[in-house]
Formats: sequence, structure tokens, C-alpha cells
Amino acid sequence: MHAFANPARFLGIARPLTPWLGWGGAALIVGALVPGLTVTPPDAVQGESARIMYVHVPAAWLGMAGWGGILVASLVQLIWRHPLAGVAARAIAVPGAAFTAICLVTGSLWGRPTWGTWWEWDGRMTSMLVLLFLYFGYIALAAASDERASTSRVAAIFGVLGAINLPIIHYSVTWWNSLHQPQSIGLTSSSIDAALLWPLLVATAGFSLLFGAIVLMRMRAMIADIRVEARLRRMAEA
Amino acid sequence: MKPKNQRLVLALLALVAIIGAGFLALAGLRDNAALFRTPAELAANPVEPGRDIRLGGMVAANSIREASDGVTIDFIVEEGEARVPVRFTGIAPDLFRESSGVVAEGAFDRRGTFIAHTILAKHDENYMPPQMADMETRDERLQRTLER
Amino acid sequence: MDPVPFIVAAYAVALLGSAGLALQSFSVMRIKERRAESVRTREDI
Repeated sequence: MHAFANPARFLGIARPLTPWLGWGGAALIVGALVPGLTVTPPDAVQGESARIMYVHVPAAWLGMAGWGGILVASLVQLIWRHPLAGVAARAIAVPGAAFTAICLVTGSLWGRPTWGTWWEWDGRMTSMLVLLFLYFGYIALAAASDERASTSRVAAIFGVLGAINLPIIHYSVTWWNSLHQPQSIGLTSSSIDAALLWPLLVATAGFSLLFGAIVLMRMRAMIADIRVEARLRRMAEA
Repeated sequence: MKPKNQRLVLALLALVAIIGAGFLALAGLRDNAALFRTPAELAANPVEPGRDIRLGGMVAANSIREASDGVTIDFIVEEGEARVPVRFTGIAPDLFRESSGVVAEGAFDRRGTFIAHTILAKHDENYMPPQMADMETRDERLQRTLER
Repeated sequence: MDPVPFIVAAYAVALLGSAGLALQSFSVMRIKERRAESVRTREDI
């Protein structure tokens, strides 16, 4: 892991990887959503509106996986003092918040025709909204802290504490009577028929790659900032 | 704005966001965080008539009756053995149908009928193409014929 | 209820949102990497 501690080595991998992730993700998204809108059959009960899941589920996954990434990076930063971990956690925050917001909006647009309501204070929906507010809190904390991304502890501790919301989101549909349907996809089984499932999996993979590219680009921007600062400081001292 | 003041503002924003998140979590967790009560829960712990609650369960098969005025419907929400008669006046969502999930908002009247002012449809976690669903109902019909 | 407007709106939100974020991240990265490069190569300051 410390092989990536050297920013030069990290950049040597991140630079060529960024376009691959970005364009690969875009290709998978198009390859999933175009057939998902035109070729695959509608759902037997919900009809056409079930197609919204091809964008809603990847957004939900990335909103939650994003905070999972912040958790891991924060732990690495706190425990191993890895210099790039804080940068990675900060780079995840904005795209994580964006996909959580996309998840909430597309879910609302799905709920109106299927359930008959834009919003209910339901366990799943409320916990997902809390996740969005946690992202806002993290972004503000990270921006407010005195220290640099690589050493600031406050945001990292908040990133670890906020992760308590992830199991709450996941189990909200099991613990409480919820308007949201239970989990469809488990580790080994799925109650989504294969004809409707494959665009969902491909779209999820595509959005995940795009998410990776966005995180890498934001990390590169932060590293460039750090380098400029360091250079100017050295020149001022010289 | 001085950087120091700017940091203060951002820290305050963070605090507001965290408190907001906690407040929302508490709001969501009230009533044990359940969106609705099921007929079985209501049988065990009845609520007084007139109190606004949400009732959730399955619409019993062959229970939907349309009244002659065309906008009022009567149906039964069931959960296992427990059953609650419901009356609703208005336009139900497309997915409101028999043997499917429903959440009704309203209150009981004195005779124990639940008068709903809002109906939400609740769908399950299964997704399949229409042809397959037809096949399944055919299988179920076959099964019923065999059982008879 | 006609689901088509809802599907169009959901796809528009998801696609415009993620594409916009990718473009914004890319342009910020390009500006900052160029600045870092120019600071690195300039010896006079």
C-alpha cells in the first residue's frame, strides 16, 4: 500500500488510468442504458417506470460505496498516516454527494408513478437523505479544517463516525415497515429476472468506472495544488 | 472575508449539517421508524377511532368493491389472519390492485372501518417481464385446478 | 399515469448530473495540473 505513498508513483498510475476509466465507464453506461430503454421488456407489474432502476440503483450504490470509500481512506489515514488517503477521501466526497442526490431525485421520480407519492418519511428514504446531509457536513468540515488534506484528522474522524449510517440504510427495509421494497439483489441470488437484470449490472459497472475516473481527476487536481504550494514555499525560503 | 472567519463559517455550516442530519434521523425514527402498522399489529394494539395512522398490508384477493358513485372503493387489507375493511374515496394509484401491497393513510370510524384519505401502492422486490408473469399465473391456475 | 415523462426526467437528471460532474472535475484538474507544470518549469520566481 505504501507503494502509492509517493505521489509521483501514484500519478504514474493515475494519469494513464483516468481516460480508461472515464471512457470505459461512458461506453458501458451507453451500452446498458440504450438497450435498457428500448430492448429489454418492461416489468410485469410496474410497466415502463421500472426502467428508472437502471439509473437509480447505480446512483444508490455509488452514494453508499462512496461513504464506504471515505471510511476506508479515513481509517488508512488515521492508522497508517498514509499521505494520499486524506486526499482520496476528500476527492470522493463531492461525487458521493452528487450520486446520493441523483439517487434521491430519481427515486422520487420513480415513486410518483408507482407508489403514488413523491416522498414519504420512510426508513429507507430518510436514511438516504441523512447520508446526503452527512456528505454536506463532511465537505464543509474538510474545507474548514486548518491543516492540509493529508494530515487533517477532524474530517477523517467524521468520515469514520458517519459510516454508522450505511448499515442503517441497508437494513432500513428489513427493520421497519417500509414503503420501499426489500433488497432485490443478494450476493448469490436475485429476484430480478435475467432479462431485466443485465442492463442493471452493466450500468452499475459503468457508473462505477466513471465514478473512479472522477475521483482520480479530483485527486490529481489536489495533488497539483499541493505541489504548487510546496514549490512556492521552497522558492520563498531560497 | 478573512480566511479565519471563512473557516469559522464553514465549521458552523458543518455543525448545522450534522445537527440537521441528526434531527432528520430522529424524525424518521419516531413511531419506531415504521412507516405504517399492519392489521396484525392493530389487532394486538387497537387505536381509537379518529386517530390518524397509516395502515399497510396486502389487498385481499377479490375484495375490491366499487361503490355506485364511481369514486368510492371498499376493500380489505390483510396480513395472515388479520383483516381490516377499508373505504377510500378518490383516485387510487395504478399499481393499487388485489393481492398486492398497499399503504393507506386515514383513521378508523366507530364501526371499525378504516376511512382512508390517501392510498399508496407498495410493490415487491420481484422484477420480471410481462410474458413470464403470465406464465406464472397460468402455473398458479394449473396448480389450483390440480388441488381441486 | 403516463410513465414516460418520469423516465425521461430521471435519465436526464442522472446523465446530465454525472456528465457535468465529470466535465467539471476534468477542467479543474487540467487548470491545476497546467499551473503546477508552469511553476515547476519556471526558474525565475
